[in-house]
Amino acid sequence: MMLDVRHRTHYRYANSAVFSQHLLRLTPTVTPGQRVIMTDVKIDPEPDGIDTHRDMFGNVVHVATVSHPHEDLEIIATSRVERADRNALIFDTSAAWEKTRAAALGINGVSPVIEVSPYAFPSAMTVADAEIEAYARDSFTANRPVLDAAQNLMRRINEDFEYTPGVTQFDTLPTESFRARKGVCQDFAHVMLAAMRSLRIPARYVSGYLRTTPPPGRARLKGADASHAWVSVWDPAFEWIDFDPTNNCVPGDDHVTLGQGRDYTDISPVSGIVVGAGRQVLSVGVDVTDAV
Amino acid sequence: MLNLQNITGGQTQDQFTAQFQSSDVNWYDEAIGPDGKARAHWQGLLAWLRDAGPEGYLDAALDLGRLRTESGLAFVATGRPEAELEDALPVMLAADDWAELADGIVQRAELADAALADVYSERRAISAGLIPPGLIYGGSSFAAHCAGWQRPPRHWLHIYEADVARMSDGSWVLLADRLDAPLGDGWLLANRIAATQAFADPFVDLGVRRLASHYAAFQDHLDQMMGWDGRLALLTGGEKDPRFFSHAYFARYMNAALVEPADLTVRDGAAFVKTLDGLKRVDVMLRGVPDSAVDALHQPKRAAFGAPALSLAAQSGSLKLANAIGSAAFAYRALAPFAHRLSQHLLGQALKLPDAPCLWLGSARARDQVIEERDDWRIEPLTSDQGTPANLEEFEKTDDMRAVLDRAGEQFCAVRTPRLARTPVWSGEGIRRTEWMMRVFACRTLDGWSVAPGGVASAIEPGRAPRALGFGKDVWVLPDAADKGEQQVSGLLKQQFSIGHLRRTGRDLLSRVADELFWLGRNSERAESVLRVLSVCLDRHLGGNRADSDPEVLATLIETHASPDEDLEGLDRYRDAVHRLARDHEEGASIPAILSFLQSGAMRARASISAESWRYIDRLCSDRRWQSTGPVRQNAGLARLIEDSIQSLAAFAGSAQDNLTRNYAWRFLELGRRLERGAQIANLGHRVAGTVHENEETYLRAWLTLGDSASAYRSRYMMTAQAAAVIDLMVLDETNPRALGFQLAALERVLSEMPTDIPYRRGEHRRALALLTDLRMQDASTLAEAEGSERPHLRTLMKGCEDGLAEVSDLIGRAFFAHTDAPEALVSHARQENRP
Repeated sequence: MMLDVRHRTHYRYANSAVFSQHLLRLTPTVTPGQRVIMTDVKIDPEPDGIDTHRDMFGNVVHVATVSHPHEDLEIIATSRVERADRNALIFDTSAAWEKTRAAALGINGVSPVIEVSPYAFPSAMTVADAEIEAYARDSFTANRPVLDAAQNLMRRINEDFEYTPGVTQFDTLPTESFRARKGVCQDFAHVMLAAMRSLRIPARYVSGYLRTTPPPGRARLKGADASHAWVSVWDPAFEWIDFDPTNNCVPGDDHVTLGQGRDYTDISPVSGIVVGAGRQVLSVGVDVTDAV
Repeated sequence: MLNLQNITGGQTQDQFTAQFQSSDVNWYDEAIGPDGKARAHWQGLLAWLRDAGPEGYLDAALDLGRLRTESGLAFVATGRPEAELEDALPVMLAADDWAELADGIVQRAELADAALADVYSERRAISAGLIPPGLIYGGSSFAAHCAGWQRPPRHWLHIYEADVARMSDGSWVLLADRLDAPLGDGWLLANRIAATQAFADPFVDLGVRRLASHYAAFQDHLDQMMGWDGRLALLTGGEKDPRFFSHAYFARYMNAALVEPADLTVRDGAAFVKTLDGLKRVDVMLRGVPDSAVDALHQPKRAAFGAPALSLAAQSGSLKLANAIGSAAFAYRALAPFAHRLSQHLLGQALKLPDAPCLWLGSARARDQVIEERDDWRIEPLTSDQGTPANLEEFEKTDDMRAVLDRAGEQFCAVRTPRLARTPVWSGEGIRRTEWMMRVFACRTLDGWSVAPGGVASAIEPGRAPRALGFGKDVWVLPDAADKGEQQVSGLLKQQFSIGHLRRTGRDLLSRVADELFWLGRNSERAESVLRVLSVCLDRHLGGNRADSDPEVLATLIETHASPDEDLEGLDRYRDAVHRLARDHEEGASIPAILSFLQSGAMRARASISAESWRYIDRLCSDRRWQSTGPVRQNAGLARLIEDSIQSLAAFAGSAQDNLTRNYAWRFLELGRRLERGAQIANLGHRVAGTVHENEETYLRAWLTLGDSASAYRSRYMMTAQAAAVIDLMVLDETNPRALGFQLAALERVLSEMPTDIPYRRGEHRRALALLTDLRMQDASTLAEAEGSERPHLRTLMKGCEDGLAEVSDLIGRAFFAHTDAPEALVSHARQENRP
C-alpha cells in the first residue's frame, strides 16, 4: 500500500514576530514495515537556514530559524511511504515479559540491549502510580509472552477508556487520564507506556498518521485527518511491534510512522520558540491519501 | 557593637592555647597528633595564635567578617548590616597530604569526563555492564537531545568541584561530585582575599600557597579555546540564584561578561549576547545555570525565563560550554556507586579517591539492604542536591518506603557518612572541635587538570548531607620544596593576566542592562519625588501655619502620589495616604515598593555603576527604618529618615554624574532620570496649579518647595508666590534644573546622541523634540490665565507633556530594549487525535 501524507501547520501571530525557531520531526522513518519513497519539508517565509540531524532515538530532526519579522509562518511536510501489513505475527511465541525486562535493564546476568534500555523507564510523561501498576499487572502475569500481554493490555485500554476529544491537554499526564478513563490517542499511548514501564518493560511512543475513510456516500474532507500516536513494544526476536490502543489493532496498511521516542515530548512533530509574537493562532491540517 | 571582653569571656592567653591543644585522642584531629602534640604543619599557625592571644585572634576574626560583608555587599544585597563574628580559624594542610588529595581529585575529574563522553556517544560502560542502564535512563538528568552527536564536545568538563572530607583513619573520602554548573570559585576567591587581609601575618609568614597561578592557567586554557578575538561569558540565573554572588565575583575575576539566559540568542548555530550595538558572538561560556534550564527549544517546560536553544550552538561546535550540557547525568552521587569499576575500565587505573558508602537504589538488592538497615542510611536524590522530590519526604514518615523505592528507585541513592575527622573551630565559648568537610575546585589548563590549592571548609553535622556552598573556613595549603619557585611564577602570570583584563573591558552594554539603567534612573527620581512630597507635608503638618497645614491642602499634595481614598475626609484622609506611602507595598508609589524596585534594578545593573554609587543605593534600600511595619508616627524621627533618604539619593545622583564616563550606561541612566523628573513636574503642575485654589499662595509655595526652587524664586522676585512667575520658573525656565524645560532639553540632547542606523531622527527623538518645541512656544502669562477655577492652557500643556513623555518612554523601550523580549514557546501542536 502506497500512501501520500501532507501535513500543514500554520501559525498566525497578533504582532510581528522578530524571531522564531522551530523543531520539526516531520520526516517519516524507515521501519521493517515501512519504506520511505519521498519526503520534503517547506517553510514559508524562507528560514535563514535549516539544520538537519538525527536524534538519539533515530528520528530525523530539522531545526529552522527565521530571524526577520514575520506575521505568520507555514510549514508543509509531504511524504510518500509504502506500508506492508505484518500479518504473520504469532504473539504467543514472543519472549516472556520478564526476559525483555532483563534485556533492557541488564539484570540477572543478561547484558543490556543498549538500543532498548532508554525505553524501559518512566519518562516525564509516563510516570505511573500504584493504580496504573496494578492495572498493568492484570495483563502481565508471570511468564506471559510479552506481545500477548501487550495485546491484552491494549484491548483493555481500548475497552475501559472512552475516546473523548477535548477533556485532556497536550501535557496531560497519564495518571490523570487514567483516573478519568478518558482521553485521545496520545493519552491512550501514555497510559499504556506508563503501565508497561511501571514494570520496566521496554516500550516506546510512536508518532505518525492514520488514513481515514469517509462515511459511506460522503466525500473525503480535505485536511480532516490528524496526526496519530500509538505504542511500540520490544521483543528480542520480533524487535519492535506496534500496538494502537486507540483502535485496538496492530498498525498495518493504514498507519504511517513518523518517528519514536520515550513520550510525546521527544517526538512532538512541530514545536518551537518565538519572540514578540503576542497571541498565536495555530491551525493544522493533515491529509493521508492513497498514492496515485 | 561586639564587645571583645564579653566574647573572650575574660580568657587568658594560656587558657586559649590550652583549649586549642586539648583533643580527643580517639578521634582524628586535624591540628593535634595522636601524641597530643600539635601536628608539624599547624605549629606555625599555633605560634601566631599564642602570640596574638584571644584578643589578637578576635581582631582578625572581626576584620574577616567585615571584609566578607563588604565583598558580599559589593555584589549582592545581603542586607547584613554589621559584620558577624564567625569562625575564622583556617584549616591547615601539609604539602604531601594535599598532593595526595589533589592527585585523587584530578583522577576523579578525568573519570567524570570520560564517563560523560561515553554515555553520550558509545555507551560502552552500559553495554559492557559496568553501569546499569537505569542509572542513566531512569532519571531526568540524562540530556537525550545531547546524545549521539556527530561531533560531541571535545571536553565535557572544564570545571570540576567536589565535596571531600577526611575519615577517622586520616584518609580522604569523596562526598559528592559537582559537575552541573558548579562555579563556586567566587566564594573560594572572596574567602581567600578576605582571609589574607585579615590574617596577613601568618598567611605571608607561613608561605601559604596562592590561588593566582591556578586561575591564570585556567585563563590560558580559556584563551586558547576562544582564539584571539573571542568573547567569554558567564551565564548566571540572576540575583535570585543563591549562587549569584559567586557568579558575579568570578565573572569579574575572570573578566567574563555576566549574562542571564534572556541576554542570549542562538542563530546560525552560534550563541550571541544582545547588546545595544547589536548581537555579539559568544565563544566560550562558563555555565552557572543547570543543564535542564538552558534550552527552551528542547526542554521548554524546564527552561529558565528567556533561555534560547543553547544546545544548538554547542552541537555545531561554535559555542564551548564549561561545562557541557548533560553533565548532570553523573553529578552529585551518580558516579559514587560505580566509580571503582568505571575507573578500572575507562581510565585503566585503580580509583585513588574513594566515595563515602553509597548504594544505588535502582537495584533490588540495594533496596532490600537499605530497608533492612534503615537507620544507618540516608536517602538522597541521585544526581542533584537541589529540589528534593516530594516523595523523599515521605520516607521519613511512612512505612511504604518500599513501594515508593520500587516505583522510582533509579532516581535515588542511600548514603552513609562515615565518622569524619575533626578540626578546631572558634565559637563564642572558645575553641571547640567539629567534624568538617570542604569543597575543592579543579579546572582544565593547557597541561591537564589543576586543583586550586585550598578550599572552602565548613562544619558538617554528623550524618547530614553536605552544606550548600557559601563563605566558609579558608583552607591553607603549605608549600613543599618543589613549590618554592611558585610565588615568582605566579607574579609573572598575574602580569599577563592583567593585560588580558585591559583587552576586553566594557565593550558592549547588554540591552538588558541598558533597560535596567533606564529604570534605575526613573525609579531613583520617582523615589525622590515621593520623598519630597512626604517631607513637605510632614513639615507643614508639624509646624505649618493654619493655611499651610489645612487638611485639604495636605490631602491635595499627598494625593499627587497616593491614590485617593474617597471615603475618608480631612486629616484622616491625609494620614491614611501618608501611611500607605510610607508602609504599604501594594501602593504603587509607596516608598517600600519603589525601594524594592530600585534595589533589584541596581543589583542587576551593578556592573555598570560605580561601587560608590551602588553603596548609596544599597544604604538607602537596606535602611531598616523603611522596613518597619508599625504605624507611621509623624514626628522628627520620620523627618530625619526622609532627609537621610533624600541625601542618599542626592549622593547617588551626584556620584553617577561624577564617576560614570559618558558612555551608553550613563546615557540610559540620564534618560530615565530626566524623563521621570519631567513627568513628575507635569503631574505636580497639573494638580497643584491647574486648578485655581482659594488659598492659591500656599499651593504655589508648596510647588516651589517640592521643586527645591523656593530660594531661586525669592532671589528673583522678592515677593509672595504669583502664578505666572512660579509657572515660568517651574515649567519654562531651561536654566532651572528643577524645571520641566530643563528636563525636556536634556532629554532631547541625550536622545540626539543615541546610536542610530537611519539618516533622520529616530521616533523617540522626534517626539521629545516636539515636546520641547511646544514648550518653547509658550509664554508664562498665557499659561497662568484662568477660566473659572481652571487654567486651561497650563492643563493642556501639562497633560500633553505627561502623555508625551510616557510615549517617549515606550518608544525608547521599543527602540533599544525590544530585542530583550524573551522568547516564548510556540503554542503546542494541535492534539494528536484520530479515530476512524
